[in-house]
Amino acid sequence: MLLESLEVHQFRNLSGKVFWHSNLNIIYGDNGQGKTNWLEAIYLLATSKSFRTSRPQETIRFGANLAFVRGRVRQSEAVSRDLQVTLQGNSKLLFVNGKKEQTSAYLGQLQVIAFTADELEVVRGAPEARRRFLDRGVLALHHAYIQTLADYNQVLRQKNRLLQEVAEGRLAVERARELLLPWNEQLAELGTEIHCARIDYVKRLNAVFEKKLFGREEVTIRYLSSLEGKGDLSDYRLLLTERLNLRLPAEIAAGCALVGPHRDDLEILFDGRDIRAYGSAGQQRSALILLDLAALSVYHSWCGEYPLFLIDDIDAELDRKRIGHLLEYLEGRTQTFITTSKADLIRGYSSDQQVALYEVKEGLIVPSSSEGVRAASQMEGVFRSLS
Amino acid sequence: MLEYAEPVTKLIDEFKRLPGIGSKSAQRLAFHIMRLPEADVERLIDALQEVKRKIRLCSECNNLTDVDPCRFCSSPTRDRSIICVVEEPYNLVAIEKTRSYRGLYHVLHGSLSPVRGIGPEMLRLDNLLARLKPENNQGVKVKEVILATNPTTEGEATAIYLSHLLKPLGVRTTRIAMGMPVGSDLEYVDEVTMDKALANRHEI
Repeated sequence: MLLESLEVHQFRNLSGKVFWHSNLNIIYGDNGQGKTNWLEAIYLLATSKSFRTSRPQETIRFGANLAFVRGRVRQSEAVSRDLQVTLQGNSKLLFVNGKKEQTSAYLGQLQVIAFTADELEVVRGAPEARRRFLDRGVLALHHAYIQTLADYNQVLRQKNRLLQEVAEGRLAVERARELLLPWNEQLAELGTEIHCARIDYVKRLNAVFEKKLFGREEVTIRYLSSLEGKGDLSDYRLLLTERLNLRLPAEIAAGCALVGPHRDDLEILFDGRDIRAYGSAGQQRSALILLDLAALSVYHSWCGEYPLFLIDDIDAELDRKRIGHLLEYLEGRTQTFITTSKADLIRGYSSDQQVALYEVKEGLIVPSSSEGVRAASQMEGVFRSLS
Repeated sequence: MLEYAEPVTKLIDEFKRLPGIGSKSAQRLAFHIMRLPEADVERLIDALQEVKRKIRLCSECNNLTDVDPCRFCSSPTRDRSIICVVEEPYNLVAIEKTRSYRGLYHVLHGSLSPVRGIGPEMLRLDNLLARLKPENNQGVKVKEVILATNPTTEGEATAIYLSHLLKPLGVRTTRIAMGMPVGSDLEYVDEVTMDKALANRHEI
């Protein structure tokens, strides 16, 4: 899939329409000009969500009552679609080819993987961020997984409420055991589905993982079940059921659910050491990029095409050599969008590549430099040959 | 100052309390009532009062009824050896529309949800267990209980809870199947249902 153009109206400080390059797009400019906003707009078009805020109305320009992003997406040689996300007050409207669509019908038309400051939580933060990374990957391949996740979380909420009531002395322990039963049975069923889906996804990631893309250090990943070392993981359902029964007194004492895949993690090792504790900021960024590349490859081997790849602030903590390796690897695979405040750093490596440069000033994309103009005319050539 | 005269505002406010009725609908309904002839309004009031006066729960199955036991429980043509358990009276109506089910019903009036403070004691379960005894069921032994609670985590929990109560009593306990809606095209089925149907496929 290919994002051919993007038109933005009153979304943050952006406005105007941009035609994108099919290979590499470099968005550069001084800090605070709106480079990341352009990536956010692409992300919004693909997912109907922002990677920065859970309240989309925040992205409507101050004083305006409506914002939209509209993009032309090439699905195949002969098929292009216009996608549009309109934000108005608290509501969000989705359109395909000008016709309003349900969220479920809209999503999936444009797939993106975004490397952003927030996503660094995957290599720096709590296990929850890593579980979310895995679940996002599974969801892109298997849409019905959304119901499994939603049901699992609902069962957890119900179970936790019962455990809380025991902790507060409003429910007798013996009665609680009986009432917890139907929730634990569902937890075992749904938990097994989640465990198996994540194990399978990590297996796929590992099969395509470029352990040494950035040099001699080796990054390895492994799904770390919270039930590891507690019994036979090959019959997960049985083990989970056993653990749920065994740990019930502990759960009652703690007042919350202690057993299940909501306690699992993805182990990421950098030369055999835990990246979160021992990795430098640069090593953490490198590892996350490797994870994203693996996710791109897994999606490609499953669906036959690559998602768009968005990389925010590429040169922060990633040296010239690594950026060079990365861009070389991506060429001919994904349509890539990167932002940087140091255009010079990129230009040295990309002069002989298929690339378009965009300078952002106060939200507007301006072809100000000679390279930018050259890239823009090159790009027009590409699109002439496409259409 | 109120936009409308007090009686009108009062009526609009009452309509707004109803589920699914917002400000605009409430206003439209109130204006409709004001334009109605007196006799039509009387008829509406009668209908409201009658439903409150006459409708109660069947002492056997908890369905809404104006006679006790209800028409299903007192019918000589229904099979008293099968009981279908549903969450709400309108779920019963959905099953009744098939016309193929000839057994009796049992309405729980809810499903288990600790978050909403609904425990087993708030569901109408006592008379279900009582009905399993032949002496409380016109001498007929109940052979099967069908659990037709909703396919949500709460409905599922309710079904599991009931199955643990019923199975030790030696009564066959079944759960309704989940999958494709019949008679419609595959293209109209949502992804989650389709996924369940694929997972539960069977040999032909």
